[in-house]
Amino acid sequence: MISEKSKQTIDKWIAKYPKGQQQSAVMEALKLSQIDNGGYLDKKCIEAVADYLDMSVISVAEVATFYENYNHKPVAKYTVRFCHNISCMLNGADNLIDYLEAKINAEKLGELVQVKKVECLGACVGAPMCQINDDYFENLNEQKINEIISGLK
Amino acid sequence: MLEIEIDGAKVSADPGEMLIAVTDRAGIRVPRFCYHKHLSIAANCRMCLVDIEGSPKPKPACSTPIAEGMKIWTHNDKTKISQKAVMEFLLINHPLDCPICDQGGECELQDVAMDYGADISRFTEGKRIVEDKDIGALIQTDMTRCIHCTRCVRFGDEIAGVMEMGATGRGENLKIEPFLAYGIDSELSGNMIDICPVGALTSKPFRYELRSWQMQSVAGVSRHDLVGSNLLSQTYKGKVKRIVARENSDINETWIADRERFSYQGLSHENRLLMPQIKIEGKWQEVTWNVALDFALKGLNNAVLNNKQTDRLGALATNTATLEEFYLLQKILRGVGTQNIDYRLNIKDLDATINLPSNIKLTDLETLDYGLIIGANLRLEQPLINHRLRKAVLSGAMVDVVNVAEFDFNYQPNNHNIIAPNQIALLLAGVLKVVLESTQAEVLPDLQNLNPNATAKQLAARLLRADNAVIVLGEHLLNIPQVAIIAALITQIAQHTDSKTLNTSLSANSKAADLAGFTPGRDGLDANTMLTAQLKAYILLDIYPQYDFYNSPKAIEAFNNADTFIIALNSFKDEVVLEYADILLPIANFYESPGSHVNIEGLVQSFPAAVSAPGEAKPAWKVFKVLADLLQLPGFDYTANQQITSEATMHQNPKLSKVDVSKVDVSIDLTMKKGIDIIWQKSPYAIDVLLRHSPALQMTKIGQINTASMNAATAKKLKLTQTDDYLGVPVVLSETVADDCVFINANRQTWDRGQ
Ligand code: SF4
Ligand code: FES
Ligand code: FES
Repeated sequence: MISEKSKQTIDKWIAKYPKGQQQSAVMEALKLSQIDNGGYLDKKCIEAVADYLDMSVISVAEVATFYENYNHKPVAKYTVRFCHNISCMLNGADNLIDYLEAKINAEKLGELVQVKKVECLGACVGAPMCQINDDYFENLNEQKINEIISGLK
Repeated sequence: MLEIEIDGAKVSADPGEMLIAVTDRAGIRVPRFCYHKHLSIAANCRMCLVDIEGSPKPKPACSTPIAEGMKIWTHNDKTKISQKAVMEFLLINHPLDCPICDQGGECELQDVAMDYGADISRFTEGKRIVEDKDIGALIQTDMTRCIHCTRCVRFGDEIAGVMEMGATGRGENLKIEPFLAYGIDSELSGNMIDICPVGALTSKPFRYELRSWQMQSVAGVSRHDLVGSNLLSQTYKGKVKRIVARENSDINETWIADRERFSYQGLSHENRLLMPQIKIEGKWQEVTWNVALDFALKGLNNAVLNNKQTDRLGALATNTATLEEFYLLQKILRGVGTQNIDYRLNIKDLDATINLPSNIKLTDLETLDYGLIIGANLRLEQPLINHRLRKAVLSGAMVDVVNVAEFDFNYQPNNHNIIAPNQIALLLAGVLKVVLESTQAEVLPDLQNLNPNATAKQLAARLLRADNAVIVLGEHLLNIPQVAIIAALITQIAQHTDSKTLNTSLSANSKAADLAGFTPGRDGLDANTMLTAQLKAYILLDIYPQYDFYNSPKAIEAFNNADTFIIALNSFKDEVVLEYADILLPIANFYESPGSHVNIEGLVQSFPAAVSAPGEAKPAWKVFKVLADLLQLPGFDYTANQQITSEATMHQNPKLSKVDVSKVDVSIDLTMKKGIDIIWQKSPYAIDVLLRHSPALQMTKIGQINTASMNAATAKKLKLTQTDDYLGVPVVLSETVADDCVFINANRQTWDRGQ
């Protein structure tokens, strides 16, 4: 559940910490394992990370369950991280989130797209905004959302 | 020494101490949940807040180091207001289920809530609920009650050495749990029950049995291993209902191993032997003690006493017997004129009994800088000795292991030297040679031609360099043909490197047997020779030969010899015993008889009986006393167990070993023998009859261990695969087992091993 390529990256992280402190790389290792596993961490991923970093499984699980960005269930292909913090909220984010969720429901796109409300993503200039997987989309409105969603496959 | 002021009184304290340690010593009560003196400081419950002069807000006593002239108040208004506030927060999510909670009456939360809690809750919202997991046969969880003190988490990480409990999730969703469906499997896990301040972790076998205040607590000492852990047996209406740890900082600190905690279950097993029985013409009859003892006397008279053949009488005993039992039984045998006495049943080469001194104190193990473990799965054999060694490792000591297979340690040994059993002597000879050369001592002629390998050089160098080294000898050595040489080599190595030794090879109450002289001396037969000597009569103390002997089939055969008269004192019924015995006397087991344990330091710890034995069973020492009277032996007019204790500890026991291990006689043949060696060790929860009858322990992962491990090459030689059985034990292939070695961890010993 950790690819060879990810292992190489993890090794680079391990090398940054003092010898014997390899567990400091746990967050990076979990992140990579999550990517390798198609977006979420299952039992095997957590065990693999524990094994690779010589940690107890439960301490890896502690980290994996603490942070919001580790998923523990299969995820849709696209995760829309919709900001609902102050700037975006003042520019109508809440209505847009409702709109987007309704749209996903109506068009039965649940397996393709899922929405998560998140705090400020540091792009207030373009509020309201969201992040879809690795890309930012700014100055959103209903029409733009329609275009973006129809472009997702 | 610093001086601080607590509640207006001057108290002195050591620099660096935390406030709570000082208040505890001064007997001032500061409430706490997360603090435990043997665990790291978490300071997460905030219950221990105290007012410190000059500090605007109260501070936690558990994590505030003292400073000269500090003035603190533990009971003023400021403190009380904060403590009450903390209490209110803690109770927000705690269920009000004390009436159905096993912890009720011994709950730290309940106690503190009595002092600091409000009568009426202001919290009207819904409380959180946490689903329970089944984490094993020993610990019951009710996690809704958990207050997240993390004692159990830290215990796993810091004491048990395997982190099994953890805190997953965050904030309101934080849960204390093991990973998914993992259980709690460590050999020390039961201590979590003791340290959990609330009823979240309680004893599963004890669930819903009784309230703590209904029971009487009797101080006891465990006999399962060489430590002599102090404990409390808690009894109700003549039954042991629960065992908890009793603190003794020199012995077991505040911990006990799971087998100490849960073996009491076996006491009420249906297989307990309840009535004396005699066998008449092949049929068993229940009889009174008088009839039984008369029968015993007649039998002994006929078999050996009347015809003056006392040298054809032998006595063998389990190694969990008490000091007094060992002492009386040997006194009877010596009284009638024989020295055929032994308790060392599962050793190949008794002449070479590893009669090495154990000359280190348990507490000193913590300050070692080097440990060399030879032939031991120390963690499961002697959990608390291992714990002390682990402490040394955590504070920087180095530990090397020379074993026949790679065992799980809960610390990181420097080197796991996995070598074939028949190579161990050679390795140690190499170590000795290097040691002798570097200390400019004369190299013995036998060692001249030896070429020490890299491992030997490394071990020797480390032993020489260390200021405080210990060599730990384990049980596996008793199985190795060259055990005599090994014993001699280790004595020499220890001498020349100024190392201490810790001999854990004979466990349980063996040291008491040695002290009591329960060994053949120079003129008697030892356990192995007795079996081949066609004795006419035996007195067997709580022996179950299919489990206990080095060569069990041979022992069973010897006992079944038609004209051998056998008096069997047993605490449990047993098919095999029924087969060969002529008379069966029911005796007490743990907690049912007063007695003494002698631990690895030679410390004699006496304990009273907590309950009486079931049915007609009697403490064996009383049986021996009556038997001695019937035999009209002088010197048995004891009225109390303590009289025997003092006599046993005073008397000079006959010299145990016939071999002088101070001189090495390595000429015996240091070249290793070819062929495959079997190292057999009883499963950790099967080492004595009580453990074998304790259901909860048998259900644990450790309790289920039953494997014949070997590497692929050995399996090939033996023509075995992963799915086969070897000598009735399932084969496990593992490359962490040495060449030419089968490591069997099983209860029974069923195959003829020759001698
Ligand atoms: S289960 Fe008990 S010991 Fe563990 S964190 Fe909860 S309250 Fe503390
Ligand atoms: S508030 Fe939405 S990006 Fe900052
Ligand atoms: S005991 Fe001090 S914070 Fe818990």
